[in-house]
Amino acid sequence: MLKSRQGPLVGEKKSSRAITEEYAKADPIYVAKTAALPQKFSHYRPILGDGNCGWRAAGFSYFETLLRLQNGARLEEELARMTSLNNLLTTVGGFEEWLFEDMVAETTNLLRDLTDLVQSSPQAAEELLRHRFNTHEVSDSIVYHLRLLASSWLKGNPASYQGFIPDGLGVDGYRKDWIEPVNQEIDHLGMTLLIDILLKPIGFAVEIVYLDRSEGSQANSHIFQQEDSNGVPTNPNGPTIHLLYRPSHYDILYKEQVPMQIMDQLARNPQVNRALTRQISVHETPVSMGGYSQLDMTTLLCIPGFGLSSPPQHHGFHSPQYQQQPIEQAFNSSPISASISPISPGASSTTTSSGALPGTFPAQPPSQSSLTSPTIAAPHSAFPPPATQLPIHTNFPPQARPSLVSNPSITSHLPHTSELSSPSSATSSFRPSKYEWEAAADWQEPVVFQTSTFKNSHYNTAHYNNPNFQPEEWTPESEEPPAPRKRSS
Amino acid sequence: MNYDMEDTQNSAPGSLPSNQAAKLGGPRRGNDAQSTTKRLQTELMQLMTSPAPGVSAFPNSDGGLLSWTATIEGPEDTPYSGLTFKLSFAFPPNYPYAPPTVLFKTPIYHPNVDFSGRICLDILKDKWTAAYNIQTVLLSLQSLLGEPNNASPLNGEAAELWDKNPEEFKKKVLSRHRVVDDE
Repeated sequence: MLKSRQGPLVGEKKSSRAITEEYAKADPIYVAKTAALPQKFSHYRPILGDGNCGWRAAGFSYFETLLRLQNGARLEEELARMTSLNNLLTTVGGFEEWLFEDMVAETTNLLRDLTDLVQSSPQAAEELLRHRFNTHEVSDSIVYHLRLLASSWLKGNPASYQGFIPDGLGVDGYRKDWIEPVNQEIDHLGMTLLIDILLKPIGFAVEIVYLDRSEGSQANSHIFQQEDSNGVPTNPNGPTIHLLYRPSHYDILYKEQVPMQIMDQLARNPQVNRALTRQISVHETPVSMGGYSQLDMTTLLCIPGFGLSSPPQHHGFHSPQYQQQPIEQAFNSSPISASISPISPGASSTTTSSGALPGTFPAQPPSQSSLTSPTIAAPHSAFPPPATQLPIHTNFPPQARPSLVSNPSITSHLPHTSELSSPSSATSSFRPSKYEWEAAADWQEPVVFQTSTFKNSHYNTAHYNNPNFQPEEWTPESEEPPAPRKRSS
Repeated sequence: MNYDMEDTQNSAPGSLPSNQAAKLGGPRRGNDAQSTTKRLQTELMQLMTSPAPGVSAFPNSDGGLLSWTATIEGPEDTPYSGLTFKLSFAFPPNYPYAPPTVLFKTPIYHPNVDFSGRICLDILKDKWTAAYNIQTVLLSLQSLLGEPNNASPLNGEAAELWDKNPEEFKKKVLSRHRVVDDE
């Protein structure tokens, strides 16, 4: 309500710098927070403050996100779901069908029309969506449909929400006073209800960024998403809707355009992503191997966590680049060539780590081991030279660990690692190894990745939060021992 | 809808096919009152097929469906027992997303109704919901007759008499009431 009542119901997407400028002369906390905002969210879409902004912002984002998935079948599923939710409205909500059928019809008509357009003309589909949401009659109907859904959901699940209902209103009082009145702003419970009935069931997450006067240089944010009983997101790679909350007003925020089709595929089948990454590894191996590509490195790729993009990258032992270096040493290559040759597109982090092996390469001048992170150096110092055998051990799956653990110099830092718990819950079915968790956890801290490339890559430990994540299995019987081991022994 | 796809593929990039343009700005979308009319037609059907005891409503003969006349019978065991009250309903073009304006046409002595027939009832103001309808409004008004909200009266004297002097209240009700002609 604080925002303007003029203009379209759903505005055009704008650079989020406009928000920074709007607050340039405000309270210093707002100045700092709005200055930081565009770094995370490139654009925003203003929503008219007519008492329905939160409902409208979430509703518009629901359709817009469905559109960006570019998946007609997905839209049809939603059409079926929305139609079937009429049962909830009548049996649980207690609304008469003749009262809401026109409202639901606007939702389902829009879904149907978007389904028709989404494949053939995505641009026309977006225009249609904006047009409908700016046509009062349609927009208000859809918004009211959402209110009815939230109200019915509350009625059907009072136990989950009762504690959040203010002033002893009771479920029915809250519905009548806060959800169903036509221009009543959405409150926190209302938004939670809407997310729970509309967005969570289809794997959409919602991040709400709270721009308020609370302490801090960045706006706080909270992510609402479907979680299992242990609080682990069930669909960590699903699309996320971002909403900007300012006291009693909601707008929509956007990160830079992400290829949503890929995100959707990911959400539905994490394996797809892993397959892609593996292809990249295979592709890059010959490049980094230089003249030594006759070595059959591809077998190594069958080992879990073995490859360019596995999480414990800074071990540095398992990447193809690393293997190259001892060979060059053997040929008396200069240390400088050793540090240059590993450079291949997209492998800069590996390059750093391969330089971070003073124990392995005593010939290198100190400057070569340009260690920036103590978390990288510490484990290696425990490794006795010659370390050339270690790469194989460190990358073995857990069942191959005993040979490593039997090494007394390594067990010395085991107590340290045993304190670590996995980033996901203890019930997570996938745990590659404690050592790799340690590595991944340490390694994550200083580096903040936000690109879609990162999200989709092996580096992203969020994959481990996916209970459906199935690592590739390594079966020793069916494999030759990895080539480097033979070479170094 | 297969034809839609063909049209889209055959059209020049960037230009909307005519059928999509129609969807964007078609006549059905242009007129706000269209869905209101449909809703009111449905309400009329509902009132006729499942009437509630003691209340009724019908659109005025001037057409357009945006103005109605309704009647409420005074509930038993209240000062209004045996009396009939006429009301006017004026619907905004964005009904049901805004409440109708409801007035008592029959003069009524009541704590929450002023001498012009204006009503103080939250569901006709900020607590209006699109899930309410003519019938629920009439039933709410009927119960308001027997249970006035004396905390926020429009007619202070009536509120006071309701609590302190029911006989005097009843007298005032009867003296104020008169039959109005149909419009």
